[in-house]
Formats: sequence, structure tokens, C-alpha cells
Amino acid sequence: MLSALILIPLVGAIVIGFFPDKEGKMSRNLAIFTALSVLVINIYLGWQFDTSVSGFQFSEYIPWLQWIGLNYSIGIDGLSFPLVCLNSLLTLIAIIVTDKSIARPRFYYSILLLLSCGAVGAFLAKDLLLFFLFYELEIVPLYFLIAIWGGKRRGYAAMKFLLYTAVSGILVLASFLGLVWLTGADSFAYEPLRSHTLSLTSQLLVIAPLLVGVFIKIPIFPFHTWLPDAHVEASTPISVLLAGVLLKLGTYGLLRFAVGLFLDAWVILAPWMAILAGISALYGASCAIAQKDMKKVVAYSSIAHMAYILLGVSATTRLSITASVFQMVSHGLISALLFLLVGVVYKKTGTRDVESLRGLLNPERGLPVTGGLMILGVMASSGLPGMVGFISEFLVFRGSFPIFPIPTLLCLVGTGLTAVYFLLVINKVFFGRLTQSLARLPQVKWVEHAPAFTLLFLIIAFGIQPSWVVHWSEVQAVALLTGS
Amino acid sequence: MVISANKSTRSQVIEEYINRLESGEALLNDTPQNLVEVVGILKSYGVVLDAYSVNLCYIANTQFLRLFPVWKYFNGEVTFKRLLRNLWHDRINYEYAEYCMKSMFWHGGGGLDAYLDTPEFAAAADRVIKAKFKYNPLMLGLHKVFPDFLPELLRQMSYYSGLGQFWRVMSDIFLDLSDRYDRGEIKSIPDVVQHILDGLVKDAARPITYKVTIRGEEYEVLPKSLGLTFLPDTAVPYVEAIFFRGTPFHGTVSYNAQAYQIPYDQSAFNYGALYADPLPIGGAGIPPTLLMQDMRHFIPDYLMDIYHQGIRGEGDLRIKICESFQKSMFCVTTAAVKGLAPHPLDTSDPEQQAANRKYLKGWLKRLFESQMLTVNQN
Repeated sequence: MLSALILIPLVGAIVIGFFPDKEGKMSRNLAIFTALSVLVINIYLGWQFDTSVSGFQFSEYIPWLQWIGLNYSIGIDGLSFPLVCLNSLLTLIAIIVTDKSIARPRFYYSILLLLSCGAVGAFLAKDLLLFFLFYELEIVPLYFLIAIWGGKRRGYAAMKFLLYTAVSGILVLASFLGLVWLTGADSFAYEPLRSHTLSLTSQLLVIAPLLVGVFIKIPIFPFHTWLPDAHVEASTPISVLLAGVLLKLGTYGLLRFAVGLFLDAWVILAPWMAILAGISALYGASCAIAQKDMKKVVAYSSIAHMAYILLGVSATTRLSITASVFQMVSHGLISALLFLLVGVVYKKTGTRDVESLRGLLNPERGLPVTGGLMILGVMASSGLPGMVGFISEFLVFRGSFPIFPIPTLLCLVGTGLTAVYFLLVINKVFFGRLTQSLARLPQVKWVEHAPAFTLLFLIIAFGIQPSWVVHWSEVQAVALLTGS
Repeated sequence: MVISANKSTRSQVIEEYINRLESGEALLNDTPQNLVEVVGILKSYGVVLDAYSVNLCYIANTQFLRLFPVWKYFNGEVTFKRLLRNLWHDRINYEYAEYCMKSMFWHGGGGLDAYLDTPEFAAAADRVIKAKFKYNPLMLGLHKVFPDFLPELLRQMSYYSGLGQFWRVMSDIFLDLSDRYDRGEIKSIPDVVQHILDGLVKDAARPITYKVTIRGEEYEVLPKSLGLTFLPDTAVPYVEAIFFRGTPFHGTVSYNAQAYQIPYDQSAFNYGALYADPLPIGGAGIPPTLLMQDMRHFIPDYLMDIYHQGIRGEGDLRIKICESFQKSMFCVTTAAVKGLAPHPLDTSDPEQQAANRKYLKGWLKRLFESQMLTVNQN
């Protein structure tokens, strides 16, 4: 059953790739059907998932290249299940919001599904080398998605992304190889490796490249410079996936491998990691304040908000780990919503420049529903009570404050700055008199807003009832801290 | 340098518009699109004005001196169905007519305003109040204690009646214009202006009177002997108050005094229909003017077809109505300017020409800051 989550998008990608369809309508429908199927299977898995049990469930194992220690071993637990769900939902949304008249539709939908396949494979992998393969697999489609369907500087942004993430992959692989070599293990299987008895020095040696690798992916300051460029040049659906899911591969890697495999070393490094999180949060927020491109504001906001996850993981308490997973989901939903809405603004006005846009909340000739949703999205991102952003950040800070009060306070300042930079954008773009040049904007249909409303519903629902997300990972958070 | 350049441009534009008026053209460009918009919108405006006029006169004649005129918008037909419709706002928004009435009332001007402050009016009002509350000692006592209160209500009622009578005439002019257009008799914007001018001239001397009936006996509040007439005592104050100074576009534009958007000289401050920004600003929830909501029900098909061709279809209908309405009001203003000119604008007498130019310059200086240039640019 679990393999279906990987195989269905893979088969979908192959079928779409070879299916003769010039206009792309069939490709689009097939892609939607594929993504929808994966989502349905996810819901079924959620129904069957036992939240009271720690460890992997629905495990599958097929011997593969045993001579190099690689096996097809997958499973799902409380850490990966919310992210797998998020991936399937955002993939479906990304396909739906894709422009129907997109160029090279077969190739586009095909690699979009391949991207989803890579991400879900990485989340499900119980083998370190298998994780690495999927981790690398998603880089290639994403490179093409930016390089072919991106903005004016897409070549530059795609190449920068490729170089950074390739280095990230190499560092992660180096860490995994080092671990296997130092422990003398005969395979890359995750669970046996958790009981290694490496010295602290060895652990620190092995964890260092892993951390740099995942910091590039998350990204954490100062390894972040690829992200704003990638977001700015990527099309809206790709930004949704990039912010919503692909960055989470970094934080997932941090939790699963840095904490899961090297807990002793992690505890030593955690105070520095917490400080780094605080700096990254403030840096991201400060940069966001200075931006004139709406998408860059959201991109830098992502850097700030992803830092909260690092803070939560650094604290290494049951609450902070659970909160970190929750923050991943929360950020995935909120950033996806914000990128969707920025995409709508760009599609209708032809610009994302904060200085050029004004009065878009105009009820007759502006984009009032988009503006309303944007304000709600900003409220969620700023951590207003009643929305998922508040409770996830509150839990992170509640979990981390007793352990690292100063970095937590730095991150709290970052949260306050979220309201500053987003309100600056909202004030400039949506309030005031509609600029004369924008007084002939096409109307946004309700169908175009359906994905945004779906995300908003989840943001509010999880904000009011956070246990719907938290209960998946509570038990696994304990196991992560005690089982190593 | 920049200032002088701007002044020079301003003078050139004013000169251009003076020449335009002297040669028989209107303030609004004469284009087929403008013609359709103006005639179509004035037709719907005519229908709405008719309803406003009927209601204003109804209030003045039957609701006077009522402290709580709860049913004033019902025109005497109080039914449960109508109450629901009223509350649902699927109706003519008579509130807009009252905004205009109050705007005129507060701004004043003309013989009507002057008369309402005279002892003659005070005596007439006193007669009406005493007759109305002949068997109501409580109200008579109130009148004794607060002698300015009830006369003030009657002053308001005089404006209800005056505006109602003014709009009666204007409604007929606009509906007649539409009929003539349908018959092919109106072919250009100058034709529209001429039709309105003819209508204004025809009724210029129409007396403005107001009398109330109490227990079968009539009491004159604005007697015919006063000599109040349509053009100088209602039309001109109306144009001044509503087109230049009033607040008919409720909530569509706001001025920030701290940002020096309101001039120190209050007489230089214009906030009327000709100056209003058709795009509502601020955020969702600020309603476009009630007038636009009322007119949308009566837009003729040919104009609605044009509106549907816009990129937003009916999505921004009220703004389109407002833009067309503003164009039509420049036609009405042109007619008023022409009608009030000291001499015929096509005169060849140099002295008369000079007097006319001085007069036109005064108007155009005021209109320069209005939406006149904008409607002609679009």
C-alpha cells in the first residue's frame, strides 16, 4: 500500500510523458487524477494509522542492491505522515493552479509528478541511501521546472538552485557514508544504525556535513541565498511546492537523521543551533522588510519561519519536537497560501512590485477576495490566535524557552517582525486608491480561489483544533528522543 | 519655473474649453460612446429622480412635524411585504435624496435659503405648528420651551419640497431626452446639452411653493407671492451644493486634512459630483453611492450591452454607472453654464464676448480641478 504513494506518481509521470497530447488537457486531467489518487490513499493510510504506536508502520522491504547495502525499505511514522499528507495535498493544488495553456504540458506535468514522487520517497525511506536517492531525484525535476517555466532570470536561478542542492546532497551522502564506514554496518538501513555506539567525536565529525547539507536545503542563514532567487523565478505552483514541501526535506532530514542518529552530538551542538536559528529568524525577517517584490517577501519570510523549526529541534524536548513537526505543516500550508495569492496578484496585474501596486482591495475593480485571503494568510503567518501559525509557533516557543530562552526571544522578535513586513506589503499593495493603470483588472473567478480557500480552511481548522495534526507525531517524538 | 509652466498649461486648457463652449460644443467630448452613455444613464437617472421626487414631496406634504417619521420611505403604502423589501434594501434608496436635500440645506444659497431666515417664515411656521399641535399641549409646551426646534423641522421640510419640485422637472427633462434619442432626434452631445438647456429655460420661472394641509385647511409655508422660482432658487443652489460642494458620493473619497488635502480657504474646497472619484477607495465594505445602486435597475439595454463588454462585465457595474453619470453631469453643467451666461455665447458683440469670457473663465477655473479632464481623456 505504501509503495503506491511512490509508484502512482511515478507511473503517472511515465504515462503522461509518453501519452500523445498536444494541447495538454489530457495530461492535466491525468495529473489531477494521479495526485487525487495519492491523496485518497493518504487519507486511507491515515485511517489505518495507529497513533499510539511508535516506530514505522506499513513497512515494506524488497532486497535491492545488497552488495552496496542499499535496499528498498520504506515505512511511515508520526514524523513523516503529516509531511506525506502535505505533499500530496500541495501537489494536487500545484497541478490545479497551473496555467491550462502552459507550454510543453506533457513534460511539465510529468516532471511535476516525478518531483512529488521524489519528495514522498524521501519521506518514506527507511534506508539512508534510498533517502539520498529520492533526495537527489527531486532536484532534477525542480531544476527543469524552474529553468523551463520560470521567469526572466530562470537560467541563473535554476543553476544556483542546482549547485546549492547538489552540494547539499553530496554533504548528506558524505555523512551517511561516514556513519556506515565508522560503524562498520553492512547496510544503510535506518533502524539498525540508530543503535550505533560511535564516540562523541566521531558523531560530531559525521554530523557536521549532514547539518550543512540540510541547512542548505531548509535553508538556514548563511546557506540561504539560492532560495529567494528560486522562488522569484519559479512559477506559482512550483513556489507552492518548493516552500510547502521541498524545504521540509531539510527539516525532516534534521529530525530524522541529525537527532535520530546522532542525539549525543546534537545535544552538544544544540545551543549553537538555537543561536543560529535566532539569527536566521531575525535575518530573514529583516531582509523581508527591505524587499520590494512580494514573492521575495514571502521567500524571506520562509527563511525566518523555517528557523523556528531549527529552534524547536534544538531544544530537543518532547514538546518542541512535536511542535517542530507541527510548524513544518503550518509553514507548508501558510506559505503555500501566500505564494498562491501572490501568484494571483501577479497573474492579474503583471507585477509583484510593492511600489507599483496600490488599492487592490478595491471592491469593484480590484482583487478584493484575493486581498481578503491575503490578509487572512498574513494574519496566520504573523501568528494570530485561532490560526495554525499561532499554535505551532507558540508550541515551538513554549518547548524551547525553558531550554534556550535567549534564542527563543530572538525568534519571538522575528515573529513580531512578521507582522511588520507583511503589514507593510498589505498596506502598500491592497489599501489606498487603486492605481489608475490597474483600474482595468480582469476579475478573479471563484474557481481560481478554490485552492486558497481550501488551504485557509485547513489553516483555521488546525488553528482551532491543533490536535488533529499534533496527535500524529506525539508518540514518535518521544521515541525519537529515547530510542537512540 | 515648474509652477509657471503648470499655470501656463492650465491657462491653455481653460482657454481651449472656453473656445469649445463658445463654438457650441459641450464640456464633454462629443463621441458616439459618450452620447450612448449619457443618454442611457440619464434615462435611468430620470426614473430614479422621479421616485426621489415623489418621495420627497410625500415627506414634505404628509410627514412634516413628525418627530419619528418611521414610514417616510413607504409613500403611504405600509405593508409587510414592502417592509421586508425596505429592510432588504431591494428598493429605491431614498436616503440618497435626503443626503442631497441636507447638502443643499446646509450649503444654502438662493432665495429659498434667504427666506427661511426671515420673520415671515417664522410666522408661517408658527401658524403651521400651532395648527398641527392644536390638540397636543405636550408639543405646544415643547415648542414654547424650545422655540427653534419645530421651525427647524419645517425649514428642512421646505427643502424636501423644493428639491422634490426641482427633481420633478429634471426627471421629465431626462426621460423626454431618452424618448427623443429613441426617435433619432438626439445625435450628439451638443444636442443633449441643448435639450437640457431648453428644459431648464422652459421651467426657469416655474414657481416653487410649499403648503401643507392640516385638518382640511391649507397653510402656506412657501407662498407663491414670494416669487421663488425653479432656476435661481433651486437649480443654481443645487448645482452649487451637489455638483461642487456636496457629498452625494458618500464614502467614495476621503480627504486628509493633515496631508493638506483640504485647502485653508474653505471656498476652494470642492467635494461634489463633478469632483468625486468613481473608484471607491480604502477597502472592501465601503459602499459605492446609493444612487449608482438605484440606477443599476433601470439601465437601458443598449447601455447595459456596452457595460457587459467591459473586462469585468457586471462586476464593476456601479463604477461604470458612476463614470457615465459623471459624464452626463458635465452635460447638465454645460447647460447650466450656458443658461446662466450674461449673453448668448455665440454673440458677435465684442463687449458681450468679453463679458462672456470673464464669466466662463470663472466657471472653468472651478471646473479645472474636477474630473472634467479625466472623463475627456478616457
